Amino acid sequence: MADDATQQHDRGAVTRAVGEGRSLAASMPRLILEARRIAASVIHGLHGRRRAGTGENFWQYRRFVSGEAATRVDWRRSARDDHLYVREQEWEAAHTIWIWPDRSVSMAFSSPLMRETKLDRALILALALAEVLVEGGERVGIPGLLRPTSSRNIVEKIAQAIVHDTSTRHSLPPAFAPSPLAEVIVLSDLWSPIAEVRQMIAQLSASGASGHVVQVVDPAEETFPYGGRVEFVEPEGAGTVTAGRAEMWRGDYQARVERHRNEIREETDHLGWSFIVHRTDKAAADLLLKLHGQLGIGRDIGIGRRTPKQSEQRT
Amino acid sequence: MMGLPLAFAQPLVLIGLIALPALWWLLRLIPPRPRRISFPPTRMLFDIVPKEETPARTPWWLTLLRLTLAALLILAAAGPLWNPPIATTQAKVPMALLIDDGWSAAASWDARVRTIDDLISRAESDGRGVALVPLSETTRDISLETPGAARVRAHQIVPKPHSLARGDVLPAIKRFLAATPTAELIWLSDGVDVTQSPEFVAGLAGMTEGRTVTVITGGLPSPRALTAAENAASALAVKVLRLSPDGSDAGVVRAFDLKGLSLGDTPFKFASGQTETEAQFDLPVELRNDITRLEIVSEHSSGSVQLLDKRWRRRTVGIMTGSTADTAQPLLASNYYLSRALNPFADVRIAEKSSPVDAVTRFIEQGVPMMILADVGNVSGEARDKLLRWVETGGVLVRFAGPRLASGGDDLVPVKLRRGGRILGGSLSWDKPQQLASFSREGPFVGMPVPEDVTVTRQVLAEPEAGLGDRTWAALADGTPLVTAVKRGKGVIVLFHVTADARWSNLPLSGVFVDMLKRLVGLAGLVQQETTPQQEASREFLPPTRILNGFGAFGPPPVYARPVAANYTGRAKADNPPGFYGPPEGLLAVNTLAPTDRLKPLDLAPLKANIEPYRVGEPTDLRGPLFVIGLLLLVIDGLVVFWLSGGLTRLMPRRASAAVVLFALGTLALAALPTPSFADQASDQFAAKATVETHLAYVITGDAEVDAVSKAGLTGLTLFLGQRTALEAGEPMGLDIAKDELSFFPLIYWPVAPGAPKPTAAALARIDAYMKQGGTVLFDTRDAVMAPPGPGGENRSPGMVALRGILSSLDIPELEPIPRDHVLAKTFYLLRDFPGRFNSGQLWVEALQTDKGEEEDETKRPARGGDGVSSIIITSNDLAGAWAQRPDGQPMLPLSPGEPRQREFAFRAGVNIVMYTLTGNYKADQVHVPALIERLGQ
Repeated sequence: MADDATQQHDRGAVTRAVGEGRSLAASMPRLILEARRIAASVIHGLHGRRRAGTGENFWQYRRFVSGEAATRVDWRRSARDDHLYVREQEWEAAHTIWIWPDRSVSMAFSSPLMRETKLDRALILALALAEVLVEGGERVGIPGLLRPTSSRNIVEKIAQAIVHDTSTRHSLPPAFAPSPLAEVIVLSDLWSPIAEVRQMIAQLSASGASGHVVQVVDPAEETFPYGGRVEFVEPEGAGTVTAGRAEMWRGDYQARVERHRNEIREETDHLGWSFIVHRTDKAAADLLLKLHGQLGIGRDIGIGRRTPKQSEQRT
Repeated sequence: MMGLPLAFAQPLVLIGLIALPALWWLLRLIPPRPRRISFPPTRMLFDIVPKEETPARTPWWLTLLRLTLAALLILAAAGPLWNPPIATTQAKVPMALLIDDGWSAAASWDARVRTIDDLISRAESDGRGVALVPLSETTRDISLETPGAARVRAHQIVPKPHSLARGDVLPAIKRFLAATPTAELIWLSDGVDVTQSPEFVAGLAGMTEGRTVTVITGGLPSPRALTAAENAASALAVKVLRLSPDGSDAGVVRAFDLKGLSLGDTPFKFASGQTETEAQFDLPVELRNDITRLEIVSEHSSGSVQLLDKRWRRRTVGIMTGSTADTAQPLLASNYYLSRALNPFADVRIAEKSSPVDAVTRFIEQGVPMMILADVGNVSGEARDKLLRWVETGGVLVRFAGPRLASGGDDLVPVKLRRGGRILGGSLSWDKPQQLASFSREGPFVGMPVPEDVTVTRQVLAEPEAGLGDRTWAALADGTPLVTAVKRGKGVIVLFHVTADARWSNLPLSGVFVDMLKRLVGLAGLVQQETTPQQEASREFLPPTRILNGFGAFGPPPVYARPVAANYTGRAKADNPPGFYGPPEGLLAVNTLAPTDRLKPLDLAPLKANIEPYRVGEPTDLRGPLFVIGLLLLVIDGLVVFWLSGGLTRLMPRRASAAVVLFALGTLALAALPTPSFADQASDQFAAKATVETHLAYVITGDAEVDAVSKAGLTGLTLFLGQRTALEAGEPMGLDIAKDELSFFPLIYWPVAPGAPKPTAAALARIDAYMKQGGTVLFDTRDAVMAPPGPGGENRSPGMVALRGILSSLDIPELEPIPRDHVLAKTFYLLRDFPGRFNSGQLWVEALQTDKGEEEDETKRPARGGDGVSSIIITSNDLAGAWAQRPDGQPMLPLSPGEPRQREFAFRAGVNIVMYTLTGNYKADQVHVPALIERLGQ
């Protein structure tokens, strides 16, 4: 798919991409600021999640409780004392969170009444989310752009990676295999054919990673506020449709969109992923909180729900 | 033609309208260009397309708009003309214009003349001869004229006040047609047929067999006329006629008296389809009798005027009485009762002191229609014959009983009378006075209320005979007649069986009496038309006095107006135009229409003519308006297409459009702001800067070098002040004396350049005000070295000359070279002189008042201050030059003699001057004298 797209790239598309890259770079500081602002408001309300669990970093020694596996005893510590101690690691449930902000041409759309394009919103969300997550100790990466890192200046890193990215911008994340404990957050308008979306979700979830699919849409894409004779142009070059009387298409369009979403939701529900529809006229912080909550719940529930599976797999 | 006065220059082009349906089909087929919208979920729409089959069509209103546009263009190309000129068929042949110029053409004469003008103009442009044939001129021979002459003559034609006798023109037309057989006939008709028109049309049709005749008729308001005015008992009625039932339905008839004063209006209204109606003036009879002229308001023609003469006025009633002794007590005489009763509605003539015979003869000669004989016993002989003849020709003879009649009389009574009267209610009578009981149904008194208070005490009795009941008009309660009457010929004889005074009854005292007489007078009106042969013989012809013209206005009689017979009652003719004839006291009215005349439309059928309506307006070429409308529609169409395909949003990017609008609004708002706000802002900033700290100031001369030195010098001085004194002044400020506010600065340093232009009067006024309000200006001519040698030479240096030019416009106090004890020399440092770059210059200050008495104390007082600070200090030593420092602290300019401490002293002089301006003269206070003396002593 990607190769086809690259081949189809003509000169005009390149210049357009360069121009869009420039404008993206120009708007990046604003987006970063906005993301920081939103992230700060979310972080403010976060509780620390420091507790014992599976992880790599030392957390504490505790007394050995009988019944535990003898392999868990930390003999070095126990040797200094009369008691047996167990060395506990800090709980690290999701080691890595992959965030995919869709930066394709179609994301640059905004209806006349909206201030932000979908791309702006997706980037703000991605940056803010990265900030919040890194603050919470997670590692954040962007598929194909940035390896997972928990660097403090994650926002700048992401921004630089995005601005300096010259490759073709695809709607959906490239095929990669996240680790089983990783979580994937896809921020996209998801107007790609349902087959591609299904394939993407299937690929990402193949390794057992959980994820969240966020459909970022402009209000106009839901309400279809068009009338009269309109020629609709797919911005990514998929073709055009001429509606004689666009207002007559509204009902069918909305039904079609609803069906598209149901199909996606069906897929995500099936895999235990979540599917969120976000309109750009809603506050970004809302989605961020919701998403963050989903991450937390997903983890707890996911662990609770997934543990048997994993134990089954392990055993 | 089609009812509308619309014609096309190229009617064939209208065939193009057939193409409109094809155009309609094409337009429906080609839809407008769609709006293009970039829409990411277009893929979703791909799935919808097969379901939704919405054929893309042009909206119906857009199709209609374009079809209208096309139709308009086709119509405009066809050359439409509103009010097209009257079609004249043949070119290059003479044109004969038959013009109806009777009264019925007068009301719309202007339009007719315009039509004639139009026709003549086109004849002129076609080079055709024109023959004008006014149909009222029967005697004139018809001849061809050039159009120019014809036009002049056409304007001289005025409508005649009488009805046309068109048939009289036929011979002349016949001769003309024989002479010019090719002539085209155009008849500008008024469409009214009053007299002989059927013959005329027939005759004309006979003459113009095979020839094209155009009749112009209609299109103008149809004429209306008044006729048959009738002064009936209750109201003055006049018939209103109109030619055709399609004209205006309502109008107003106005009545005038002989002097032209309006007496009243009455509206009339034609029932639909009717050509005749009646207007009634319900006025008091006295007013009605004054009416001499009725006319239809705003219908200017002689036909709409009806003239009334004496025949319509109140009837003359001759009264004679048989009792001559009555005059001794005139208020009891029957004459008095009768004249009082008749006066409101009749002209009363009383024959006094003459025998009945003479009176009757005279009244008959005067033609009175009604005569009252009150208690005249016997009219005999020739007078009786005359009287009988008069009655038989229509006179109304009213007789009242009385002692003379009762004692026997003539036969001019309706019934046979018994000799002697009858006395009721007297001392010898059984009967009571009888009341009036009833009015006969046949008589004129029918319908009158029967009064209860009328009693009759005496009366003459009729012999009972057959037919008495028929002749009785009023009867008493016992059935005896009170009023009897009989017709004789066309007239009538009426007998009251009581006297006309109150002796026999109280009838003459009651209101019924007046009403009865009024009805009798009304009877006389009905028969008054006939005149006696004597009258006819006596006044046979009356000369014209005031004649109506065709428009219905009075004027002097024209030369062709002939006297009219005194009994003339027909319609006016050419020789006898309508108007008043006869002497002022006996005017005879001749009206345009006879009472029986009606307006009938001309029957033009035999003529087989082209019938055209008159053109009311100018011909208007409609192409221009049509093309303009078409253009507008085209613009609208363009805008609609533009809007349909996305409108403004396609012109600009979404955000940019908003930005452009905002920018435009902002620019507008900025432009709308008053510009002084900037100036205010700048001056506010200047004021804020100047007042936060104390600043030394210098005048910007415009010479960059001088200004730089001034600035550097004052900067140096400010530094020096900061080092040595408590004054830590701000950065020195340059002043534009013409604009900047000066009052913020205690001291202004003004370097005077020799060639500097003199400040404007306004700037000098500001300087003057500044100095008056306590400011100090330090003028520095900077040219002490250039001063010519010799005493007073420095005052002639070029700088001083320039300074003098400045100061000559200022109100400068007396100046003096600074005295040694001036406080300026002691304000901070004790100074002897005030050197700058040069030390030869003199410092001038305001002269101090020297008090004579204190002269001996002068030595004791080391400092004199005066009361104020000198508002002006003049030097030529270039102080700023000495103070000026480069940024690195090194002096900028060399000093002239170059003494080691000269620069130091220059600074000290500056410090003293600044301190002087800031602190004033307190150093001159007596308090410090001892210490100062001590320090001076050192």
